Amino acid sequence: MASEDQALNRNGEAGPQEKVLSRRDLWAMAFRSFFLQSSFNYERMQAGGWLYSLMPALKKIYREPKELAAAMKRHLEFFNTHPFLVTPILGIVAAMEESREKPDTIRGIKVGMMGPLGGVGDAVAWLTLLPITAGIGAAIAMEGSFAGPIFFLLTFNAIHFVLRFGGVFYGYNAGVRAIHKLKTGTQAISRAASIVGLMVVGGMIASYVKLSTSAKVPIGKDAFDIQKELLDKIMPNLLPLAYTLLMYFLLRKGYSPLKLIVITVFLSVVGKYFGVL
Amino acid sequence: MLIEAILLALWAGIAGIDQFNVLTHLHRPIVTGLVVGLILGDVKTGLLAGATLEFVWMGMVPLAGAQPPNVVIGGVMGTAFAILLDQDPKVAVSIAVPFAVAVQGAITLLFTIYSPVMHKMDSCAENSRHRATDLLNLSGMAVLFLFNAIITFLPIYYGVETAKSLVESLPSWLMDGLTVAGGIMPAIGFAMLLTVLLKKEYIAFLLAGFAIVTYSDISLLGLAILALAFALYDYYRGESPLKEGKKGGI
Repeated sequence: MASEDQALNRNGEAGPQEKVLSRRDLWAMAFRSFFLQSSFNYERMQAGGWLYSLMPALKKIYREPKELAAAMKRHLEFFNTHPFLVTPILGIVAAMEESREKPDTIRGIKVGMMGPLGGVGDAVAWLTLLPITAGIGAAIAMEGSFAGPIFFLLTFNAIHFVLRFGGVFYGYNAGVRAIHKLKTGTQAISRAASIVGLMVVGGMIASYVKLSTSAKVPIGKDAFDIQKELLDKIMPNLLPLAYTLLMYFLLRKGYSPLKLIVITVFLSVVGKYFGVL
Repeated sequence: MLIEAILLALWAGIAGIDQFNVLTHLHRPIVTGLVVGLILGDVKTGLLAGATLEFVWMGMVPLAGAQPPNVVIGGVMGTAFAILLDQDPKVAVSIAVPFAVAVQGAITLLFTIYSPVMHKMDSCAENSRHRATDLLNLSGMAVLFLFNAIITFLPIYYGVETAKSLVESLPSWLMDGLTVAGGIMPAIGFAMLLTVLLKKEYIAFLLAGFAIVTYSDISLLGLAILALAFALYDYYRGESPLKEGKKGGI
């Protein structure tokens, strides 16, 4: 897949290899990532904060208003990951945008990374770092000493800041090195990125969408548990998959995401009221 | 009481921002306990109540973004009421939890009604107005500040006991329903991703990812490695649409 594919390089734009990002821009991105969840919402989750964090790079890379507008639109798509580990993704995506990779490739990499890093971040930050530092801090506070909260804030944030600011440089450098290889066949890379992205989305549907019924049908003295004895027997996570696909088809039918959110809230409250959810 | 209520409201507002932005975790009960203790002039009870609440909330973290009972309001209310009503710090827990659960439902609503902001951002992006999208993103922090400050101010200023019974009289199906909605909501986000990512030739991989996670204990990182393995195999096998002759046409 080496030299003969060079001719197929799809990066038509002038001077795609030009480096425009500085260390300052990467620092700015890491700093902005503090506000990744400022506009958090159920329609696209961290998308607004993702665009905000990536903006220092996009502004430098795309000088033409038209190009910048297109890039901004692309980066307003659904995004959600762990708020500490977003910076490696920012670094890699900035490196790819800098060398004008195809949007499909960038999207695949972004989606492929956000799910796993979300899981790793939960395990590292919420289930390890937080319990250890807050646990020691609370034990000190129980003695009536204000050193407890101070110990907690110092140790927790020392590691938090290293992850956040280290991550953006790590990601950018890894991205730059990878792009050298990516150049050979952007179509094939984009296909590979889509494969990884879609498999991860499939996994995220199974693990993150929480939907089950608590409806029971009385049979004599016993109650027939629809979730446990029917749906789980057919397939666990049947309802999350079905609901996600329903949303997909409704979106393609032209339903707005906001409409789907309102429908979902309504169904949840009504379902709870009648005891079927 | 007015001064104290205002100070507590300010702290809750700041902690409410920190819960989702910057994330120094000064919003955790262990820190809030100290601050509330300082405001109300009883640092010792504050520290003890804060530490007790910290242990209660230790496992209640936003895994995969799912909202647990609200730690900001739980910490502030629990500690403040323990001091104001002169209760044992352990009682702080039973005061904190009903408020925290009610606010958890309210946060779900807040994140729902913030969705239209994305459409405003879309139209700003179309005109490459990046200052406007920056501001729209940051605007959410003002909403979080006011939301937490008001929710803290009212019950503390107007009476702890009445507020508690009011919160407890909220129908549980409403609060639980909003929690259920929060659990389902990621489906819409994933569906939106599918509208841009999914092509016929890739449906197999979506199904594989779903089935592997459903029927095994694999983590998402493990799944990503497996996905990478498929992708590498596919790549080196040269099945990509790059090869002429195989029509991509999808």
